Amino acid sequence: MPRIYVHPLPVRIWHWINALGFVAMIITGFQIRYIGLIDLMSFRTAVVLHDWIGFVLIGNFFIWLLFYLFSDKIRVYHPELSPMKHFRASFRQAMYYGYGIFKGEPNPHHVSVYEKFNSMQSMSYQVIMLLLVPLQFWTGVLLWDVKRFSGMIEVLGGVRVVDTAHVLIFIFFSGFIFIHVYLATLGHTRMAHIKAMITGYEEIEEEHGAGK
Amino acid sequence: MAICRSKLGVTGTKFHAGLIMSARLASAMILVAVASLSTHAADSALSQLDQQCLACHSAKGLEMKLANGDVLSLQVQGAVFTKTVHNKIGCAVCHAATSFENHPPVKRKIAGSREYSLEMNRVCQSCHAPIFKLYESSIHAALFREGNSYAPVCTDCHSPHAVMAKASYDAASGAPCSKCHDPIFNAYAGSVHGKTGLNCSNCHRAHDVTPATAGDQLKNACLGCHQGALDSHRIWLPNAGRHFDAVSCPACHSPTAKRKVDLRLYDNVAQERVAEREGVPQFETRARLAGAKGAGLDAMALRSLLRGFNIEGTDNRTTLRGRLEVTTGVEAHQLTRSAQAIRDCAKCHQQGADPFQSVTVSIVGSDGRSVRYGAKPEVLNSIVSVDSVGGFYAIGGTRIKLLDWLLALAVLGGIGVPLGHMTVRWLFRRYAKKISGKEDS
Repeated sequence: MPRIYVHPLPVRIWHWINALGFVAMIITGFQIRYIGLIDLMSFRTAVVLHDWIGFVLIGNFFIWLLFYLFSDKIRVYHPELSPMKHFRASFRQAMYYGYGIFKGEPNPHHVSVYEKFNSMQSMSYQVIMLLLVPLQFWTGVLLWDVKRFSGMIEVLGGVRVVDTAHVLIFIFFSGFIFIHVYLATLGHTRMAHIKAMITGYEEIEEEHGAGK
Repeated sequence: MAICRSKLGVTGTKFHAGLIMSARLASAMILVAVASLSTHAADSALSQLDQQCLACHSAKGLEMKLANGDVLSLQVQGAVFTKTVHNKIGCAVCHAATSFENHPPVKRKIAGSREYSLEMNRVCQSCHAPIFKLYESSIHAALFREGNSYAPVCTDCHSPHAVMAKASYDAASGAPCSKCHDPIFNAYAGSVHGKTGLNCSNCHRAHDVTPATAGDQLKNACLGCHQGALDSHRIWLPNAGRHFDAVSCPACHSPTAKRKVDLRLYDNVAQERVAEREGVPQFETRARLAGAKGAGLDAMALRSLLRGFNIEGTDNRTTLRGRLEVTTGVEAHQLTRSAQAIRDCAKCHQQGADPFQSVTVSIVGSDGRSVRYGAKPEVLNSIVSVDSVGGFYAIGGTRIKLLDWLLALAVLGGIGVPLGHMTVRWLFRRYAKKISGKEDS
């Protein structure tokens, strides 16, 4: 089966650190918010871990950002510059996941070096990586030291407003992580996409789509 | 007390002494002086004129009935007065209004003991103007201005003829504060500070005593001695700076105390708590209007109250800043050793935690004390309060319930959607294979 090198090393390093980090952040986040209901560790341990892992993730984010800013691979996030074409492709992809996949239709998206994401992926990853993740880091840093950033927190409406924004994004990621893992199993085999994120090479299915 | 007018200067204090003495008074004094020789021996540090005063006024049970029926003791213990800081200036400086012409007996009428104290207060001011200025800024003076007949004036704390040097105050008795604040002093006496011999004034100051809830004076008093406190807390307490701002010291260091949240109206432009306008109290009326017949403010009522305060100012932005504190003054004084202080984060950071079951909203009253109005605990957990109670949030303890439901929905959706998708794929697997097989062929 032919292979394409779609995940360069910096991306793979970023991805797996990010994946482990986000899982840890979600677990410690649950522990912080629901102490008494969940008792995996003490509140203080959860807070300290949450803080440290958060800073690791912020550093890690810059691996991703700098790699894409300073390489031509940034095209993977927006290979199609026409909004209409992009929207139509996204609609086709949604139809595939919501209907076509059950009928055994082929995946409308075909992986290539500059088109490793389908239209839905590239759109949602941009929202996640350029809006939600930075917002989560920013609110997280503000909450890490409320006193130090009290001026900015006041401008934003107070610590409760900042925390609510942080929790809303946390809620999104808590649901998204399951969907993300599930979608990763929809390759031509269950482990195909996951293996690709380890080796860097995506196997190209010659006959039909990834939906079986 | 005998009153003299003297022109003699005594230890730098100038006062006038009347040199004209009536023969009648002199002979009377000589007679009493002979009779109370022992008293005079103890008063040898006093001037001759003062000794003459004491000749009569050291007599036990010497008293007079005032117009309102109060009984004013006229007895002065010479031995005690000798040790006071006022012994050098003598009797006449304070009692200048009395002369040999009108004494004894005092011909003018004194309305009551309180009125007499107030009159003598003015005498204190004449020498102690800077101290009196401090007193004027105190809660005691504010209560006095409000007409509180129990508000202490100079002589209530400084026994008129026994004004001792600061160093001689007996910390163990708590005097003079314990005279009015007895329950608080008893709590304090058993506390870690009470056992170290600190005076009330070490924390509360002597004359410019401010209400415990006003400003940062008390917190600064704690940090004045415990200068390394913030650093030592930072070692183990995440967001220590924030805790220092939003949690009063006794809330953790008085571990058995009942805690509560006070949401304080705060003026973000002036950077201070909102205060009642002089003579135009508005807070309680507004709160009552907003808060469903005094049943306590719910989240909507609190929002409406806050809006009311924001309409007035053109550039004012009134917000609420929460503070976790103990419920009573007694509890605030039951401080323990730091090893016994609350270190368990879960005491506050979990749903249903005790401190968040009691909530008040407050403003600074005209006397400097907080005027509080009750609020329902739900104001801390309601989505409606995100904006209005923006300045107070304790992770876990005051979490917004609606977000809990959203989280449950997200997790269930995150698990349920893939499971559902997988199930449908499994159910249609034969059909899908058939179709894709056809396409393949």
